[in-house]
Amino acid sequence: MKTMEAIMTHVKSKPKKKLLSMRRKEELQGYLFLSPWLIGFVCLTAGPMLFSLYGSFTNYDVTSKMDFIGLDNYIRMFTNDDLFWISLWNTIYYVLFSVPLTTVGAIVLALLLNQGVPGMRLYRTIFYLPAVLSGVGVYLLWMQLLAPSTGLVNHFLGLFGIEGPAWLTDPAWTKNALIFMKMWSVGGSMLLYLASLQGVPKSLYEAAEIDGANAIQRFFHITLPMITPVIFFDIVTSLIYGFQIFQEAYVMSDNGDGGPVNSLLFYNLHMWNKAFEVFDMGYAMALSWVLFVVVLILTLINLKLAPRWVHYEGGDES
Amino acid sequence: MKKALSSLVAIVLVFMIFLTGCGNLIGASTESEQRKDGRVQIDFWSFWGSETRRPVIEKIVDDFNKSQDKIFVKYTFIPFGDIWTKELAAVAAGNPPDVVISDLGKLKHRAQKNQVENLGPYVKNDPSIKDRFLPQAWEAVLYNNEPYALPFNLDTYMLFYNKDLFKEAGLDPDKPPKTWDEALEYSHKLDKKNGNKYERIGFYPLWDAGPDIWMVNADGEPYFDKNDKSMIADPENAEALKWIKKFNEKYGLNTIDAFKGEFGQKQSEPFISQKVAMYVKNTTFYTQIRDYGKGMNFGVAPLPERKPGSGHYSWSSGFVAEIPKGSKHVKEAYEFIKYLTDVEAQTYWGAKLFDNVANKHANDKILAQLSGEAKMVYQAAVDNLKLSVMQNMPIKAPDYDKFINPELDQALRGSKPPEKALQDAQAAVLKQMAGQ
Repeated sequence: MKTMEAIMTHVKSKPKKKLLSMRRKEELQGYLFLSPWLIGFVCLTAGPMLFSLYGSFTNYDVTSKMDFIGLDNYIRMFTNDDLFWISLWNTIYYVLFSVPLTTVGAIVLALLLNQGVPGMRLYRTIFYLPAVLSGVGVYLLWMQLLAPSTGLVNHFLGLFGIEGPAWLTDPAWTKNALIFMKMWSVGGSMLLYLASLQGVPKSLYEAAEIDGANAIQRFFHITLPMITPVIFFDIVTSLIYGFQIFQEAYVMSDNGDGGPVNSLLFYNLHMWNKAFEVFDMGYAMALSWVLFVVVLILTLINLKLAPRWVHYEGGDES
Repeated sequence: MKKALSSLVAIVLVFMIFLTGCGNLIGASTESEQRKDGRVQIDFWSFWGSETRRPVIEKIVDDFNKSQDKIFVKYTFIPFGDIWTKELAAVAAGNPPDVVISDLGKLKHRAQKNQVENLGPYVKNDPSIKDRFLPQAWEAVLYNNEPYALPFNLDTYMLFYNKDLFKEAGLDPDKPPKTWDEALEYSHKLDKKNGNKYERIGFYPLWDAGPDIWMVNADGEPYFDKNDKSMIADPENAEALKWIKKFNEKYGLNTIDAFKGEFGQKQSEPFISQKVAMYVKNTTFYTQIRDYGKGMNFGVAPLPERKPGSGHYSWSSGFVAEIPKGSKHVKEAYEFIKYLTDVEAQTYWGAKLFDNVANKHANDKILAQLSGEAKMVYQAAVDNLKLSVMQNMPIKAPDYDKFINPELDQALRGSKPPEKALQDAQAAVLKQMAGQ
């Protein structure tokens, strides 16, 4: 009996010790596997972010000084920088129109491409193509398309007797021109909608048809609610991306200075000018934090409102 | 939980050490490269990478290296869009190149921000150096009376006009317009219309010249005087805008946009293809006429003046050779930029590229080498440089153009009276300066 007990305690105690060290080992291994992300996060995201948070309270100019100046940058922004308000307004205007328009555009396009017409795969590829082609080359192409009297867009409008505007030089039209240009690349989100449209169960449509629902009723009562999770995702992400608009204005305005009468001076362009043209880095950091807070608040509002209109099949656990 | 946290912290610390170690390694490898032959290597950056410019600068660097047994220059081409942000990052990291070609207009700003080395101590031992430069070029590299770079090249804007078209329009080909009114009057004569459509534009002042050039031209004064006092809202500036507006009204913005949209290069360059009869351009434009406008009969003149006697002022800017703050070999770098701005290198550069250089003796030497119309253009440019004024950047509003340009847009589009626009621009700049 005694030996038995001894064996038992031996068995009990020894593996216990080993088990602990095994757990520690696993723990360490876990962190080791996490390490690429951890390095990336700490050094490339969290570190710079914290640095810029601190920098936003200083007069940092990269090379000559970094003195703590409290809230001065923020006060200056709200009281003494007209370009801050102009750039914020320009950005909000852009987001306000481009997000709904591209969302509706992508849904309509996805619906059209979901109709099972012959040659559909080719159409899908064609409509998706602009999402693959992006960047400076495309903007230069659009500058030619939008040229007031030689561009294809105004030439096309001319066929219907419409005299097109000077898209990129008339301050009243520049932002609209960019929004219009963005409509071209809805292919990316279209693909998401297409996938979710194909996930809507056929049985729902059959049941509705038997009950006598027409096509419009079926769309609004079945299709639309079933794809709301994707709409929600699309709106949240395109809102965030919308606020970050920069490249388009930088490339499409002379010297990247924000276009005629500052009409293309978007928030990030203003920030970039402050940071890299005049080295007012502390101030630019403060600008970036204000933008971060604005986008954060809007995203939180979005998340808060989501349960009211987003339909999840499995219930409300979003 | 606590344990997890502490081990997390430990791991993060390890990575930090690892990373800083890496940083040091990288720093050490590029720092102070001692060459096998014992010469000190200095890094030289510029944005001259095109097939016309690159061989010229490489030849100059090569000549320098051959003439030296102590210093070796390594040339790196960095695209125009990147070079100065890269330079800034390198200065901030404490590991900059030793010589960079940079923008003259904002040198003062870089000096104030401690991004470039003060060359005062070197120039003190070398007092004759400033005599080699055009006076306005030397003036432009001073900040608080200390030089922060050596000027390399300058450009200046002149009026190129097509003599054949002058004859065709019944104008004397040897009498280019002298005043703003004459320029407007000549432009009517030189226009060519087919029905309502313009086939040729006599003159449009804003092609290749900003409104700022014409405001300098109006009275020989930039936006800011030497003490950074604003002269933006001067009445002469408003007059310049009103004069430009006359052209906008005459041609209509649609015509202007349409023409600009069709501007091509080489043979279809608008002046060469005779779509434009008078054109404001800088000196190097001549190389295009030479290469693509074979046999073209053209003339060069100073910009027309506001009214008789007000002065044919032009606008000028340029590039400097500077030593970024933190260079490990300032002394050797100074030797090299001295060579870059000396007669031999400057003559080679100017003659090859038809560019106005900052070294006045080199300008003379280039003139002696040239003949025919090339000499005529270069002489006109050298004369024009004497009338050229540089924009002075106020230290408290380095981004002054961000406040002025939108107002100019409004004035030229006709949505704001020029006087009001300039006053608003001045107010915005002063507000910015006060807030700093």
